[in-house]
Amino acid sequence: MTRAESDVELDELLSLDVPWVTIVWDDPVNLQQYVTHVFMTYFGFARPEAERLMLLVHNEGRAVVATGPREEMERHVEAMHDVGLWATVAKAFE
Amino acid sequence: MPFEREGDLLVAHFAVQERDILTELVEQEVALLSDLGGDADAGLTDAGIGGSTSLPRDPALARLLPDAYRDDPSAASEYRRLTEASMVSRKIAAAEALAASLSDGDVRLSNEDASVWLRALNDLRLVIASRVGIENNDDEGNGDEVMMSVYRWLGFVQGTLLDALES
Repeated sequence: MTRAESDVELDELLSLDVPWVTIVWDDPVNLQQYVTHVFMTYFGFARPEAERLMLLVHNEGRAVVATGPREEMERHVEAMHDVGLWATVAKAFE
Repeated sequence: MPFEREGDLLVAHFAVQERDILTELVEQEVALLSDLGGDADAGLTDAGIGGSTSLPRDPALARLLPDAYRDDPSAASEYRRLTEASMVSRKIAAAEALAASLSDGDVRLSNEDASVWLRALNDLRLVIASRVGIENNDDEGNGDEVMMSVYRWLGFVQGTLLDALES
């Protein structure tokens, strides 16, 4: 293996490791109780964690609710859009 | 009228005027969403893909079907192309399921039905909010008191359904 090839493989490995996140954004329509309900039923969070994240969305304008591979984050965002929450996918640490 | 738990079911009664309002709102939302799918390739739509590639111009549709990437237009566009048509179908199905279960006004929902109702009520609220100009936290609406009272009523119904589910 040449040096160049090993660098390419290293780059690929690193890019696979870069986590992605699902961000839920605040909006003036969704009831706090509904957002908590969605976090509990979809993500399976216990009520205290669901409420903590809901309040983070409400007070800070957004919250990271999941971290992982890009495809998984896209599935989460699709589920959030299905239920009417405003969510996006992003690279972590950006 | 509010939802209450009755054993395994969530039950509520809707007066005829309330049924008319809900049915009308559902029809408007379904028409709005159906227009969007009008240009899609039927074969691709059946396969669950073939949506458009850009954020809908109508603000209500843009809120129902937001971009999945905030700062990456090409990723947002590709994601939309793959997901939008099936998401539109699911939103239409949820809205129509809500309207269909109104029947004579005595609504009896399983937990599963209730989750469809919660989604459908929420989508109706999102559409009205964008129509009356509630887009940021301090927005108080454009003064259309009829639509504002419908909006608040939908929130009330959704809240009682959540209370009943959790009781």
